[in-house]
Amino acid sequence: MNSLMYDTYTIFWRELKRYKKSRSGVLIRLIQPAIWIIVVGNIFSGTQPLIQSVGFDGEYIEFMAPGVIILTAIFTSIFGGVNTLWDRRYGFMNKALTSPISRSAIALGKMSAISLIAALQASLILGIALAIGVTFPNLIMIVPIMAIVILFSLGFSGISVIVAATAKSQETFWGMINFLGMPLFMLSPALFPLELLPNWLAVVAKLNPVTYTVLLVRELMTGVSDGGIPILLSLGILFAFVIAMIGLASYVFTREVNKPF
Amino acid sequence: MLSIETKSLKKSFGDVIAVNDISFSVKSGEIFGFLGPNGAGKSTTMMILTTLLKPTSGQALISEFDVTCDAKKVREHIGYVQQETTVDEYLTGRENLLLQAKLNHIPKNEIDLRIDEVLELIELSDKQNDSVVTYSGGMRKRLDIAGGLLHRPKVLFLDEPTVGLDIQTRRKIWEYIKKIHKEFDMTIFLSTHYMEEADSLCDRIGIIDGGEIQVIDSPENMKNAMGNEVISIIMDDTENKNLFLSELKKIEFTKNINEDGTKITLFVSNGTQVIPKIFQISSELKIKINTISLTRPTLDDVFLSYTGHEIRDDDSLFNRRREHAKMKRLRS
Repeated sequence: MNSLMYDTYTIFWRELKRYKKSRSGVLIRLIQPAIWIIVVGNIFSGTQPLIQSVGFDGEYIEFMAPGVIILTAIFTSIFGGVNTLWDRRYGFMNKALTSPISRSAIALGKMSAISLIAALQASLILGIALAIGVTFPNLIMIVPIMAIVILFSLGFSGISVIVAATAKSQETFWGMINFLGMPLFMLSPALFPLELLPNWLAVVAKLNPVTYTVLLVRELMTGVSDGGIPILLSLGILFAFVIAMIGLASYVFTREVNKPF
Repeated sequence: MLSIETKSLKKSFGDVIAVNDISFSVKSGEIFGFLGPNGAGKSTTMMILTTLLKPTSGQALISEFDVTCDAKKVREHIGYVQQETTVDEYLTGRENLLLQAKLNHIPKNEIDLRIDEVLELIELSDKQNDSVVTYSGGMRKRLDIAGGLLHRPKVLFLDEPTVGLDIQTRRKIWEYIKKIHKEFDMTIFLSTHYMEEADSLCDRIGIIDGGEIQVIDSPENMKNAMGNEVISIIMDDTENKNLFLSELKKIEFTKNINEDGTKITLFVSNGTQVIPKIFQISSELKIKINTISLTRPTLDDVFLSYTGHEIRDDDSLFNRRREHAKMKRLRS
């Protein structure tokens, strides 16, 4: 166990080093969520009466800010595993695989690095949200919000690592990721209250772990709960999702990297 | 003690047999080379030995640990430097080695010392804090090799260590490999398709082609076993040729003679002693020799004679087999 932690940290350290050296990407990756929050937040400002009908008293932009924070986390973490493909192509993976570290540690190290990076990106979006006038009932809430974002990204990066380990090419990876990322975001109450979704959509949304994360962050940011789902239930589902993804990702990753690339 | 031992090792991918029934062993402290063209099965064998691939059948042992059942133990005993340079461009030289040290569980208090040591060995100490992006191809390769040494493995695998490097850099890398071998007393297993590389570095060479080992021996023995240096004579005319030929056949070291018009080719085992005798005979018979040349067999010739084709990517297996049979006749 001790050595698994050490090995995970080794890979985590390497991934963060690489991230730090490619800083130009940080800003580029911020552009899209910034557009979401600024443009979409204003386009939909007319939906305020709808939002108010389910108990929110703020602006639409305040309602959707948690959604965009999660959007940032979703895409940063689901794209994050792509370097697994580079690592396999350019030999780092073989280097790691012929060293005595465990295969799971490689997957877990990548996942934890991705989740920290995703949280970093999300916190920048949170900063933008604050800058354009989104208000917080209590600024201390940033701490649990970031904890939830880290946890969620850890689970979501598992998807990325699984797809990257299974895909043999960049094309397959991006195809799969686009197939998964957007629907998971859309089929959640990120942009629209859960209570106002048509029944069948609400059912689908309730199967989506993104939903509970959005609800949690929204409740912490605005103090209003949506869809009548208790915090503890959302938290429980989020934890279960993360644990399942950690298990699944280490299993699939270990199985896949043992096959010839 | 044996560092590497394989017994009837076989690996197939679907219908394609990449490695077919390979058995060999490498003694501790030896530099052993796998020589063969691209696609011969060198890398596949190396990937089995480094636990990256599972053999279809047969067995491979590294320091007496089985690569399939005891993979983790094997990984603790090996260093593996891949064909491609695998250093992280974004990190500095030192950071790359630090990563490698951590991957290989080098005790924390020894890491800095070991890194300093190998940096000195590969003469990159002054560049250690530069990003690898600024390194030349040769420097990257050196850094890669240093990474494989850091944890002082019992067996160091070098997959085509100098492929794609210019000749000066290549020689430099050979020097480092020799230095490493001397200083750490490791077993080194390398694969290459460069004759000079195998010749200058290896204690023993296994020639591999079409997934099979054709021969294993020291480079010297291989060249000697070829037996024949080649003497080519071009005569002024064909007068007295038959008499000349029958006299040449009587020379002690002559193994075989070919003739074609005014050209005579002798396969001999001791060429420098044969040449004076040829002149003696020719002056007795009053035969005028236009040109004469003596060529030593190179590993190229050895490779050619064992595999029936030159070392390069190749045409059909059928042609190869036919050539092979032809060369076998020539040898015997």
